[in-house]
Amino acid sequence: MQSDMKQRPGLADPIAMEVFTNRLLAVSDEIANAMIRSSFSSNIKERKDCSVALFAADGRLIAQASHIPLHLGSLLGSVETILSAYPVDTIRDGEVFICNDPYVAGGTHTPDISVVTPVFLDGVLRYFAANIGHHSDVGGTVPGSIYGAAKSIFEEGLRLPVMRLFRAGKLDEELLRMIALNSRAPQERWLDIRVQAAANDRGARLMRELVGTFGTGDIDALVDDLLTYTNARLRRRIAAMKDGSASFEAQIEHDGITPKEITIRANVTVAGDRLAVDFEGTGPQAAGAFNVARGALHASVYYVVKTLLDPYLLPNSGMFSGIEITAPKGSLLNPNPPAPVGARSITCNKVVRAMIGAFSQLLPDDWAQAAGQDIVPVMVFSGQGSDAPEGYVYLESIGGGAGARNDADGMDGIHVHVTNSSNLPIEPLELEYDLIVDEYALVNDSAGAGRQRGGMGIARQISAPRGGVLFTARSDGHKHGAPGTAGGLAGRPAVLLKNPGTPQREELSPVVAGIELGPGESVRLETPGGGGFGAPEERPADALARDLRDGRYSAAHARACFGDSAVDTALRQLAPRDRSA
Amino acid sequence: MYRIGFDVGGTFTDFTMINSRSGRMSHFKTPSTPEDRSQAIETGLSHFLNEYGVSPDDCAFIGHGTTVATNMVIERRGVLTGLITTRGARDVLEIGRQSRPQIYDYTVTKPEPLVDRWLRREVRERLDARGAVLVPMDEQDVREVAEDMWAAGVEAVAICFLNAYRDGRHEQRAAEIVREILPEAYISISSEVLPEFREFERFSTTVMNAYVGPRMAAYLTAFEGRLRSLGIGVEPRTIHSNGALMSLDAVRAFPVRTCLSGPAAGVVGAAKIAGAAGFDDIVTFDVGGTSTDVSLVRDGRPTFTTNRLVAHYPIRCPMMDIHVIGAGGGSIAALDDIGALSVGPRSAGSLPGPIAYGRGGTEPTVTDANLVLGRLSGDTLLSGRMRLDVEAAKRAIAQKIAEPMGLALEDAALGIIRIAVAKMGRAIRAVSTERGFRLDTFALCAYGGAGPLHACAVAQETGIRTVVVPAQPGTLCAQGILLSDVGFDFVKTGVATVGPAQWPQVAAAFAGMALHGLTWLDGEGVSTGDRVMRFSLDARYAGQNHEVQIDLADNPEISLEVFRVLFAEAHRREYGYDIDGRDVEIVNLRLSVSGGATTAPRKGYCAIDGDPVLGARPIYFTDGWYETVLYDRTRIPLDTIIEGPAIIQEMSSTTVLEPGQKLQVDHQGNIVIEVRHYAK
Repeated sequence: MQSDMKQRPGLADPIAMEVFTNRLLAVSDEIANAMIRSSFSSNIKERKDCSVALFAADGRLIAQASHIPLHLGSLLGSVETILSAYPVDTIRDGEVFICNDPYVAGGTHTPDISVVTPVFLDGVLRYFAANIGHHSDVGGTVPGSIYGAAKSIFEEGLRLPVMRLFRAGKLDEELLRMIALNSRAPQERWLDIRVQAAANDRGARLMRELVGTFGTGDIDALVDDLLTYTNARLRRRIAAMKDGSASFEAQIEHDGITPKEITIRANVTVAGDRLAVDFEGTGPQAAGAFNVARGALHASVYYVVKTLLDPYLLPNSGMFSGIEITAPKGSLLNPNPPAPVGARSITCNKVVRAMIGAFSQLLPDDWAQAAGQDIVPVMVFSGQGSDAPEGYVYLESIGGGAGARNDADGMDGIHVHVTNSSNLPIEPLELEYDLIVDEYALVNDSAGAGRQRGGMGIARQISAPRGGVLFTARSDGHKHGAPGTAGGLAGRPAVLLKNPGTPQREELSPVVAGIELGPGESVRLETPGGGGFGAPEERPADALARDLRDGRYSAAHARACFGDSAVDTALRQLAPRDRSA
Repeated sequence: MYRIGFDVGGTFTDFTMINSRSGRMSHFKTPSTPEDRSQAIETGLSHFLNEYGVSPDDCAFIGHGTTVATNMVIERRGVLTGLITTRGARDVLEIGRQSRPQIYDYTVTKPEPLVDRWLRREVRERLDARGAVLVPMDEQDVREVAEDMWAAGVEAVAICFLNAYRDGRHEQRAAEIVREILPEAYISISSEVLPEFREFERFSTTVMNAYVGPRMAAYLTAFEGRLRSLGIGVEPRTIHSNGALMSLDAVRAFPVRTCLSGPAAGVVGAAKIAGAAGFDDIVTFDVGGTSTDVSLVRDGRPTFTTNRLVAHYPIRCPMMDIHVIGAGGGSIAALDDIGALSVGPRSAGSLPGPIAYGRGGTEPTVTDANLVLGRLSGDTLLSGRMRLDVEAAKRAIAQKIAEPMGLALEDAALGIIRIAVAKMGRAIRAVSTERGFRLDTFALCAYGGAGPLHACAVAQETGIRTVVVPAQPGTLCAQGILLSDVGFDFVKTGVATVGPAQWPQVAAAFAGMALHGLTWLDGEGVSTGDRVMRFSLDARYAGQNHEVQIDLADNPEISLEVFRVLFAEAHRREYGYDIDGRDVEIVNLRLSVSGGATTAPRKGYCAIDGDPVLGARPIYFTDGWYETVLYDRTRIPLDTIIEGPAIIQEMSSTTVLEPGQKLQVDHQGNIVIEVRHYAK
């Protein structure tokens, strides 16, 4: 304990820092909640696909409230770009910036629009309040603007460099009209961007109040303490890893245009308390939209560091500045413009798979984790709503199985890694759109067998009772299941079907666009199960018995994976409870 | 005549009795009896009957708050429950919103559903979103499923069909069939428990209702038996999560509505007592051993919500909007390996408890820090019935916190309190400023064992200008039960865009609900003059998914124009803007009926004779040690003004008056503190 003290960073006032952190978190929570509750894009309002952040005037991230890991640090790029395009002394009070471009404005893909508001105190630029929200459509080839088969970013809708949305407190209605007009749901864009600006106003007001409470100089010292502390804590966790390098590979099975595999190779190097991640050996950029822009790659790396090393580390510049990240130019993870980057989330989850594989070799053995579904499969429906004359675009990403861990089964039917969006419940969905959810269930026999089993995938089957619906999907993991660890077996791969259970049944490619659904036609996606951990024969009999009783595994499938003797033992435990006996 | 209220808590059962004629109140506390909670109830009631010579016939009112249902869920002691649902939906209960509970920490997992997968069974039936039948219900399916459940020994059945919030026909018919096959089973159907859309939350609520139903009924029967054996004939009432009292039959049908029973009673008590003292806008602040509960009361009315987690399961039903955080007297203070100090959410609870309790606790807690600072003394707890080891608390904080941080012992202890206070302040902001209210117009009503201890500091942290500490703050929940009305909430979901054509339908629907409300009040025996009906609407802009509530008070027949103005106002307050000309949708119509405001006159405050000054001791505040006077609260005369620093002690709590602050004892015996704010 005493010797530890010598290595501790010099924090000016740890108690005041903790008090301040509570205030800061209240501020970022308040902005995020206001934004989620008042927005119109279902991505934001129901799935919380948005983040808010507070920055110092020099671009250091002070705090971020994020419900989606893919947004970790994602506003850093926007603020950096603003600061390089507009020197501090040219930024005026009453201005608000907007941008989305992945190549020139630090964005992650075009539907994620950032709105950044400079916060002035006594005439001096002190902070930025910023937020990013996933809009339901910004134009481009397909509804939703994310088109797996896009050949360039010009098919992904409107590109916004950093621009001023407000000047002297006045909205540039011409600019907003232009942005709205480029969307398939123009009114929604108009409203949501105004919601974003209103959220920042709230943030600005709260930051001014905070300064009123603590005083300018004190706040500066507290911010320094907070970032120093975060950085020191991260370095302490890195130092606990084994020194050395490790690599691991994962693949995407489709480049968006053709079923072509591209390898992702993560190389992780630990030296003392320094961590470097490079992606040397990763395949060339994809022809389609599965490429990853810089902001999204960094977010994926930050996610792995946080989930494996310190889940409760606060996301601020103290964390992000402690990690070096590089990827070869022209590769899947550092594409050259104008490569399309819209469908990056599947690739990002595969980046996570590769990184967890590499990290696990440098961590204590029982920290390891099998692969989960490790994709972000998306189903998009568009059509004419019964009430909405402008039509609708309904996008849903589907959860799947999580990877098993040394001491626990993988969770069933959840989002893994870079996303954690909520579903749109069936009842509001059917109320809002002319669609019926036929099934929303866990997929039996999908969990990878092991001492600890993987999580189960999800089946979501939706039909169009009156037809006139266009269906688009992006998925992956249809060929190879999520690999198990330490003798665990792989989970079941994904499958996408049109008209399941009918004579017209047809298996679709994982990446499809514009499939027409006539009256009564349906589509069904079954997402991958997670990989198992440890030898299947070692699964405790009572756990296997529960799996069998609950129908998570059929007896036949269980016999194939766990062996006859394990299944027989488990079945004996399931002596029927006979009430009449 | 006498009125008795009691709160059956996890550790203690608290009782309050009021003499309706004299207004005199008596209090009693006895350990809860988890194996048969009605036993502690009998102990307390017979204590009152014997000690005060009360005849059972003179008990005009018995009301109780209980966390029996919640504890049953936390400890998973409900009955074997089956779920019958629409084909394709059996895993809705398990998938939930398909998000993981903690984004980065995979050791935090979703709770296991209260119904195992093999007992979640599907039948052929389907309604569409307008309530039209797409697939007629297959009665044979229902029969087969019910027979399997009978064979499995199922004791409760939840019936939850998709879109049943529109029309409960299929669910009702299924329930009839199930009842034929499982005549003993407890049956809950989603269209009765919660006729609101969003299936996961409705299913989850209905399933929990069924899961706790049979044992809750058994508890109520045992409770009734105890009353009968004591000769008490009056029908007992139970306080629900919305703060209203209901009959035992209503509790039997909807036990899930009692999940927040005790805390809701505390809010009712705080609202009424602070209201009587002239404070209609308050933040309730209840600090116990492991948690802090806060809520907002505006114009004398508590705020309500329809959504919360109970033991990690989502529940929707009308309830007080009480925000709970893990910061209380038992919260553990710890230094991490980088040198940062954290307080909570880990708690030493009541066992082992703080180090000073000498029951094996080894980690310093908020209570230990208060002892080190002299704010609590070794012999103040429970009027000296429990002695505390202050030296052990000092040693631990010195060794584990102060020395590694290079701080003086008292500064380390004060740091622990400051951090706890910051977390409490954050909770208060969440229910107030985050919803558009300004705290400088609110009073803080502090209760629970440790609320008054931190109230001054929390008020300063949040900009609140007044603190009210009711008499006997440690038993406020039991007092609140005596101040509650009977009541019930009705809801009707029907998403519709508002326009001149539809507007008359709103009034018609409200009129229909009002009839139901009156019938319910008749059933509860509330006389006509005592009835209160409050109408409200949940509405949103077309395209939004979150609603704002518009309170219409007792008059649902407002014009469309007035409604639009009210909606815009509510939306602006909640979100900071409104949109002129955008279509507005009504999502839910709500009616809350209540009555029987049997508020007996509370006796005016009268101090007990004797010197209120108990002595003095050094107490540490932000700017140093102060020789501080200690007062016995029960002896402080009416209208006395005390300048801080001071410590006010009573049996169930301790109030800290910081230097520079001033308190006065009002006519009801409340301590009212005027909080001065000093620039930092």
